[in-house]
Amino acid sequence: MGYLGGSVTDVYSFAVYYFFWVAIAVFAFGAVYRIAKMVLFWRRVVKAEPRNRGVGAWIIGLIRTFVDPIIFSIKTKPHDFLAGMVALHLVGVIPLIFLLAHHVAFFAYWFSPYKIIAETGLWIPLSVTTSTLTITSPIEVKFVDSIWGPLTVVLNGDVLAILAILGTAFKIGTKVMEQIHGLRHVRWSDYFSLGLLLFILLTGYMAARHSTGTVTMDVGTYRTVLGLHILGAEVLLMLLPFSKYWHIVFGYWYGKLHEWYDLRVQKGLV
Amino acid sequence: MEQMAPSPAVKQLLEEVKRNISWEGFPADKLEKALAEALSALDSVKLHFLENCVGCAACAPACPYYYVSEKYGPVEKAELARYMYRKEGTILGKLLGPLLNAKKPQSEKDLDEIVEAVYRCTNCGACYVSCPFGIDSGLIIKGILGSIATKTGRAPTLIAVFDVIERKKLFLEIPSFMYIWNEVMKKAEQALGKPLPFDKKGAEYFLLVNMADAMFYPDAVIGAMRALDRAGLDWTLPSKPLAFRPPIAAVIGLQKQAKEMIKILDEDISKYEPKNVVLLDGGFVYPWLRFQMPKALGRRPSYRVLHIVELFEKLIKEGKLKLRQTDDKVTWHDPCQLARRGGVTEEPNFVLSAASKGFRKLPHHGAESYCCGGGGGIGCMNMEMLEQMGKLLGVSSKDLVASDKELEFIKKTAEHWSIAVKRKIDDVKKSGAEIVVTACPVCMHSIAGGSQLYGLKIQVRHIAAYIGEHIE
Ligand code: SF4
Ligand code: SF4
Repeated sequence: MGYLGGSVTDVYSFAVYYFFWVAIAVFAFGAVYRIAKMVLFWRRVVKAEPRNRGVGAWIIGLIRTFVDPIIFSIKTKPHDFLAGMVALHLVGVIPLIFLLAHHVAFFAYWFSPYKIIAETGLWIPLSVTTSTLTITSPIEVKFVDSIWGPLTVVLNGDVLAILAILGTAFKIGTKVMEQIHGLRHVRWSDYFSLGLLLFILLTGYMAARHSTGTVTMDVGTYRTVLGLHILGAEVLLMLLPFSKYWHIVFGYWYGKLHEWYDLRVQKGLV
Repeated sequence: MEQMAPSPAVKQLLEEVKRNISWEGFPADKLEKALAEALSALDSVKLHFLENCVGCAACAPACPYYYVSEKYGPVEKAELARYMYRKEGTILGKLLGPLLNAKKPQSEKDLDEIVEAVYRCTNCGACYVSCPFGIDSGLIIKGILGSIATKTGRAPTLIAVFDVIERKKLFLEIPSFMYIWNEVMKKAEQALGKPLPFDKKGAEYFLLVNMADAMFYPDAVIGAMRALDRAGLDWTLPSKPLAFRPPIAAVIGLQKQAKEMIKILDEDISKYEPKNVVLLDGGFVYPWLRFQMPKALGRRPSYRVLHIVELFEKLIKEGKLKLRQTDDKVTWHDPCQLARRGGVTEEPNFVLSAASKGFRKLPHHGAESYCCGGGGGIGCMNMEMLEQMGKLLGVSSKDLVASDKELEFIKKTAEHWSIAVKRKIDDVKKSGAEIVVTACPVCMHSIAGGSQLYGLKIQVRHIAAYIGEHIE
């Protein structure tokens, strides 16, 4: 009986074949709970007659609603913007989670329509020189022929992981500084959330780089590190509905669309 | 005008107000009640504001009071409401308490912290549009925290006095107030050269002149009347004020009372059966009457509400109002309540461009306009205001303060305002304008005071006063 059959023999198989379903169940429960709460608190109110500035103004308003805070952040807090928005979000975590070749393969295993990312070539390789997946693959060193063209120099797992690690470490540092300054919005749970993210990034990076340079792992260690990486990601999935990470799934989209409706559609702010 | 002696009505008013105000102590029972009321008024939007803040502090530099101290950043102030919400309104908060910053105020110091947050916020909405998640911290601070501060006794006495004056219509019984009102009307009559069209029924336009309008910018009241008259409109105005600055209860977070006031005002206005109600006040009066009123009434009012600057735009476009164009180096300051919270951003630019070739926008205008730092009751918290109002009510300024602690608080607030206003003054300086036109009494007072403080020589005018003088 081997791990391919699905029994729990180590951290890896525990994470992939067993805990996965626990994480999905907790996430689903949490998501339903939070959305149900919003629905439950919905109150019917009589709205004022909206100020009609036309559809063009609505569309520009929609774009500005999403873009203005980004521009504001670039202008007022450039370091936070680079670390928090660029490193942690735009080129770091988001493409890494959804486009990294390894993740595409993993997601497509559970959810076959995800294969579309692989088929359209949108996946990003592990590094600029190799797209080999595991230690057992024949190692070839050649430039990756990716749809991203020369952008692959940046859009690859190595660079993105390093950016994301730097961004997350910076955010943890900011929290520490803010706490030293006596700012009251820093929560202990923030450290847990960000620490978990850092843990996932580090184990992911270690697992992915298991066979190059100076670091070499045997299969057992590799499976353990990868198992921890997946386990961390599953804990994060469970945490999504109960933490600040809910913004990815719901909070951000609801908040921006509500603001757009309130200020731009209803009040006509241009 | 001679100083009036306090009328029995004023004495009674002060006694009544002070009964509910205490800046000292920790009234646990009142806190519990206030907290329960605040939680029962939550809806899905407020829930989003309370639950979805990630603490990124991207909103911080938007706030005029962040420049006083980083502990006055929007997220910092709103967090005090989140502390309570998490403790009382979430399961995880109850279970994990301090790990999630879930706690209730425990002491006098905690309440002091709350009231300080409330009066370091103008409800300008700059944090709302700069938050990547569309979180309106101002609404949480002035709404939830404001109501908790006031209901546990920490409200600025002067604003509480205005609130009672408004809700009980005591302005009608305070001789100095009515003296001001009658003087303005007399001057307006002279300016128009004919009797004012008081109390007409079914007029196209009802100019809602409130007590505060007559007090703070009589020339604007007269300017608006000139414009309505010259445009040949069918218009009217009330012969006596219907409100002080409605709903002033909202400034101290008394939402229920504010809604009641709106209902009374609607009844009063409806008796005149107007088609449009025109406002001069571009402060909180505008978003309340234009956008909150239907919510408060549970139906849309039978008339349209518009600000005088919207009417000016319409009349100029229709060719009914002709202006003499000058070369004034003039700019427009967007009152936060009229612009960010009311959506009136284009109209003033159009109107002022028609009035002067020298019109220029401020470097930060419209949705990005800098707040003057005086709103949300902060403009009332200085010695000058206390003395002026004391004179009008026939009492000493000390009678308008509950205790030494409140007095200290007022002085500190005024000091902090002088830092918060600087960003606005610098923006005006950059524009090179010599005249700043706006539409809110607090903005006018704040910008005039700030420019004096920082040595900028400018005039500050209400749009209706400015346009009134430019009519051909
Ligand atoms: S209110 Fe918005 S911008 Fe401010 S800290 Fe919270 S999420 Fe960030
Ligand atoms: S509403 Fe304005 S003053 Fe209040 S916290 Fe937000 S930015 Fe600051």
